[in-house]
Amino acid sequence: MKNSVVIKGNKYGIMVILDKDIPFEELISDIIEKFKESSKFFGSASMAISFEGRKLTTDEERRILDIISEYSEIDVICVVDNDKKREEMFKEKVEQKVTDISSASGQFYRGTLRSGQVLECESSVVILGDVNPGAKIISTGNVVVLGALKGIVYAGITGDASSFVVALEMNPVQIRIGDVIARCSDNKSILKKKKNKPETKIAFVEDDNIYIEPLNKDVLSDLQF
Amino acid sequence: MSEVIVVTSGKGGVGKTTTTANVGTGLAMLDKKVVLIDTDIGLRNLDLVLGLENRIVYNLVDVVEGNCRPKQAMIKDKRHPNLYLLPSAQTRDKSSVTPEQMKELTDELRKEFDYILLDCPAGIEQGFQNAIAGADRALLVTTPEVSAIRDADRIIGLLEANENKKHADLIVNRIRMDMVKKGEMMTIEDVEDILAIDLIGAVPDDENIVISTNQGEPVVGSETSLAGQAYMNICHRIIGEEVPLLDLNGKKGMLSKFADLFKKN
Repeated sequence: MKNSVVIKGNKYGIMVILDKDIPFEELISDIIEKFKESSKFFGSASMAISFEGRKLTTDEERRILDIISEYSEIDVICVVDNDKKREEMFKEKVEQKVTDISSASGQFYRGTLRSGQVLECESSVVILGDVNPGAKIISTGNVVVLGALKGIVYAGITGDASSFVVALEMNPVQIRIGDVIARCSDNKSILKKKKNKPETKIAFVEDDNIYIEPLNKDVLSDLQF
Repeated sequence: MSEVIVVTSGKGGVGKTTTTANVGTGLAMLDKKVVLIDTDIGLRNLDLVLGLENRIVYNLVDVVEGNCRPKQAMIKDKRHPNLYLLPSAQTRDKSSVTPEQMKELTDELRKEFDYILLDCPAGIEQGFQNAIAGADRALLVTTPEVSAIRDADRIIGLLEANENKKHADLIVNRIRMDMVKKGEMMTIEDVEDILAIDLIGAVPDDENIVISTNQGEPVVGSETSLAGQAYMNICHRIIGEEVPLLDLNGKKGMLSKFADLFKKN
């Protein structure tokens, strides 16, 4: 296994670490190979790219980008250079953009999500139906379930901790908002659950913890979206 | 008008084969012409439950491969002149048949039969795909246990995603009212609540089922067996009659009879 080319992912895209000692032509063929085998994994995702480990001339950089677009379906939005300050600025911009998209737009899903089904949305999502155990919702924005939430839910998957999850009956197996993950308590029995009447609840992040509260005016006015 | 019905569950051991045998026999008793197809190739046992094992000459794979005509492979039940069985092969596996071949076969059988019941194997692989290929509707069998319900839920999702969406009706099998009353078992309503599909019948856990399975004689329609009555009610509902749900509490004790007496007054 050659390690002249290493691809690492981060929230904003991928980082390609290049060997600085081997000849450029050899490096090119390694890059081709690497992107060929990982093209399935990346699919046609849009991402930012950065190069590390080797100083590249503008020409070399252009050649590598051509190769990437030829051998994979990755949509390279931009190239980030190693300058820390600019990277920070860039990250901020991307985050801002993603947050704008995910909280400003949304879509509806009608029907019950059943075990084994996964709903992925690059926006907020409203589900008119139940989310059964074994089903999963992944959203870059907020998730609202007009029914019982009994499966797994990931809101703000790109790292947006201001996302929230609302369900008429809040009973998720696992819930993730931004980078915070919470799971339900271990010893819950289906038989005992019936006793307490279901209540509309909201889950949100505060101080790196997920809180689940009944949805009422007080909670809503306390939250800052 | 004939109907192709697949009996499925996802999880094994919840009573698909027993349900197929009993519902099939029940429909035949209601003067419908019925053929049961065992699609569990390699793990044949619908013939055992019906007590027809010793008559098998040809099987489903022979029919599909053209070694014999469907008529030759179908076994006529000795007790019910309207009931036929198309057994599966024991020496082959699920990949011996394709969904297209199954659809072709069921479409041909439609000409002759009122109801074509398919006994689906457990799982969601090729065998399941074969069984649902030609079906118009599904009977989804589950027991009131979390594992069976989880699998049933997955099956409903797969049936809904299938190209020709199939309507699924729910059968809750092996329910024990004594445990439900003590709060140790999920109620029928709980199961309905999770799966959110129409209930077509609930069958109590009944030791007569074990006896009847071993003897190869379906229990459906039997006056003495609660499960037999429950299965008969399901048959009535399949042909479109409205039948109230069976009271699964069974025989009442002396005390509750007295209590009922006082309530009336």
